[in-house]
Amino acid sequence: MSHADLSEHRMMLANSVADFARGVDLKRVRRLSESKAECDRKLWSQMAELGWLGVLVPEDYGGMGLKLADMAIVAQGLARVLLPEPLTAAAVLAARVISDGSNEALKSKLLEGLVSGDMLPALAWQEAAGTLDTGNVSAQATPFEGGFRVNGTKKFVIGASHADGYIVSADSARGMQLLWVPKNTAGATIGFDMLADGRQAGTLNLKDVTVSKDNVLNSGAAATNSVACALDHAAAIASAELTGIMGRSLEITLDYLKTRVQFGKAIGSFQALQHRAVDLYIQQELSGAVLNDVLTVLDEEPDAKTRSAAASRAKARCTDAALLITRQSIQMHGAIGFTEDCDVGLYVKRAMTLAAWLGNGTAHRRRYAKTEILEGAAV
Amino acid sequence: MSATAQQIDYNAMSDEDFRKQAREFFENEYPDELRFMPRRLSWEESKPWWLTLSKKGWLAPNWPVANGGMGLDPAKLIIYWEETERAGIGRMPDQGVTMVGPTLIRFGNDEQRAKYLPKILSGDNVWCQGYSEPNAGSDLASLRTEAVLEGDHYVINGSKIWTSMAHNATNIYVLVRTDKAVKQQRGISFLLVDMKTPGITLRTIKNIAGGEEFCQVFFDNVRTHKDNLVGKPNEGWTIAKGLLTYERLNIGSPRRPLQAFEQLDPLARELGLFNDQGFVDRYTQLKMDLNDLGSLYQRYVDKVRNGEALGPDISMLKVFAMDTYQRLAELLLEAGAEYGALADEITLGGKKIDLMTPFYTSRPGTIYGGSNEIQRNILSKYVLQLPN
Ligand SMILES: Cc1cc2nc3c(=O)[nH]c(=O)nc-3n(C[C@H](O)[C@H](O)[C@H](O)COP(=O)(O)OP(=O)(O)OC[C@H]3O[C@@H](n4cnc5c(N)ncnc54)[C@H](O)[C@@H]3O)c2cc1C
Repeated sequence: MSHADLSEHRMMLANSVADFARGVDLKRVRRLSESKAECDRKLWSQMAELGWLGVLVPEDYGGMGLKLADMAIVAQGLARVLLPEPLTAAAVLAARVISDGSNEALKSKLLEGLVSGDMLPALAWQEAAGTLDTGNVSAQATPFEGGFRVNGTKKFVIGASHADGYIVSADSARGMQLLWVPKNTAGATIGFDMLADGRQAGTLNLKDVTVSKDNVLNSGAAATNSVACALDHAAAIASAELTGIMGRSLEITLDYLKTRVQFGKAIGSFQALQHRAVDLYIQQELSGAVLNDVLTVLDEEPDAKTRSAAASRAKARCTDAALLITRQSIQMHGAIGFTEDCDVGLYVKRAMTLAAWLGNGTAHRRRYAKTEILEGAAV
Repeated sequence: MSATAQQIDYNAMSDEDFRKQAREFFENEYPDELRFMPRRLSWEESKPWWLTLSKKGWLAPNWPVANGGMGLDPAKLIIYWEETERAGIGRMPDQGVTMVGPTLIRFGNDEQRAKYLPKILSGDNVWCQGYSEPNAGSDLASLRTEAVLEGDHYVINGSKIWTSMAHNATNIYVLVRTDKAVKQQRGISFLLVDMKTPGITLRTIKNIAGGEEFCQVFFDNVRTHKDNLVGKPNEGWTIAKGLLTYERLNIGSPRRPLQAFEQLDPLARELGLFNDQGFVDRYTQLKMDLNDLGSLYQRYVDKVRNGEALGPDISMLKVFAMDTYQRLAELLLEAGAEYGALADEITLGGKKIDLMTPFYTSRPGTIYGGSNEIQRNILSKYVLQLPN
């Protein structure tokens, strides 16, 4: 997103994000695998005060009621300093399904908690690896008089380690149910796998978990559609994070090319490295141009097919570009780039985890192929 | 040129009205058999359309009205281009309109404009570009074709090469060395020469596809009047450079690769390739690359529309566009398997499919107009500011 494209309020938003980012120390992410403190609730409250958790939440519920293009500015700016807080997971992925909820009382409670920072929700939709199919769910919700009893396993839940509760998708005789399961509910246990960047991916086990009617957020086609939409929106904002990561990684690398001297010259004077740096820069600019177009499309709230195709364009391009740029950042630093002390390694690892989340490049290209190419071609 | 056409103030029209008018005109008047050609048009093929455009006053959308152009502002100009692309209008030998006109309008004098511009519009003069030399390609500033002022005439000696369509041209604009004592870039001048001037000889050069695409042009004591000097003596480098960014925007348009992509679809269907995941993956990657090229191109188009200047970063558009175009052409040949080795158009399932032309059209795209390596040098130096 070039600054010339930003309207005045977006410029102000970008500036306040940049101010905030300036105060962030990478020390914290570097120690994440030991501290496991990927969500600092004090910092989270500050982000809430700045309004960032409610960018996409309607004003009636205390949010800012803005667009994905605004959210992208926040996500991109904070990703530049690798903030580990589950911003996209909570304020986009979970926020979308909550905002679409049909249970007004639960919806207001969760949205107000989210916007104020007091309550951190996580969406638990995924079961198998490598799928973008949000509608095909094995977890079962069996109705009883007071609500549902749920059984199943949800995987790769981002933001799970500090979440106050989970929105779980489960299949039932009445179609999909989206159910609110507060942390420590009997029968709900959460385990963790560490991600490459030190954050945690949660695995939520549900064994005869009782969910009262009050905690049914949404049902049937409306539920299915809202999870699909949430995935697309979150994939687009994760793409914005990836542009932040690649942008900072390339900046660090260009600085290094200008200062590291070998053979009596700055290594940035060698044409092999110059041309490689240019190719990385082209990928970065391409990602920015694509993301911009995609956000414009998504903010016009198109039909599901158009929306998914657009989200896939962004996630495929930004993922591949971020992986390429961060990996080449190591290469152009030489051995120092391969050390724990060097920042570029942190960018590589965050790029890898964001790449895999919500569908990597291959997954998104295949989904795009399915609806945009193969359906049209008489196979 | 029709006088009535010139009186229309297109810029006062709404975008929608102008687009509608352009669309109807291009749809109704352009010869169908020349739509969506995978190559440039020859002068012979182009001439009827050139004259149609000229009669309507629509040949030079970018020139001021006073010079016989349409005088379109950037926003309208973009619409004009979008509609030519939409209608699949071919690229003509348009050096006169795209290069010579703008050069004379910006750097020429009234006499030169009066003498040359109307003949471009009428199709009487067809121009070619004499920049490259056998020993000055990427390092154009090292050019050695020399012009010495003798009385009222410049006397030119040397040779130009790779001059596209020179054998069809009536006139050539050349960069010549007029001062050998100063820094290379400061001793170059911009001259206009009639191809029929005694001392000019041509050697046509066949390209790899066997087509007579370009020539070597020899200058043996060729005399051109000093009135044919554009700008001041030794100002030629600045003049030539001023025209390059516009060319890069043109080259970066996704139009031509998109046209080539159209060939891939029927081929893949006939050969059952959409059942092959390996092929589908590559096809999808390219399709998405093309869409992404569209996004990047649109960013620059929007800049032009808003009247912003285009900087050296435009080079990235050329690099990515040509790279994508070539990868597409290569996939076309690979998908064709044995068909991909046949020299001529093939017929499959009743459809004519041209596999080889996109390869031959895309291949030189990374060489002319500043090679992709040179574009990367530009980006490295002026955009990333990496050291020398
Ligand atoms: C189809 C076609 C049409 C053309 N039409 C015209 C025309 O109408 N008028 C005209 O004047 N010219 C025309 N040209 C010529 C074109 O502008 C030149 O080919 C181009 O400038 C490159 O010069 P060269 O061919 O001498 O290659 P060279 O400059 O010799 O380059 C050879 C190779 O070395 C690379 N190279 C050179 N210098 C560097 C460097 N500093 N760093 C890294 N790599 C480098 C190049 O990228 C290229 O790969 C045309 C060319 C083609 C192919």
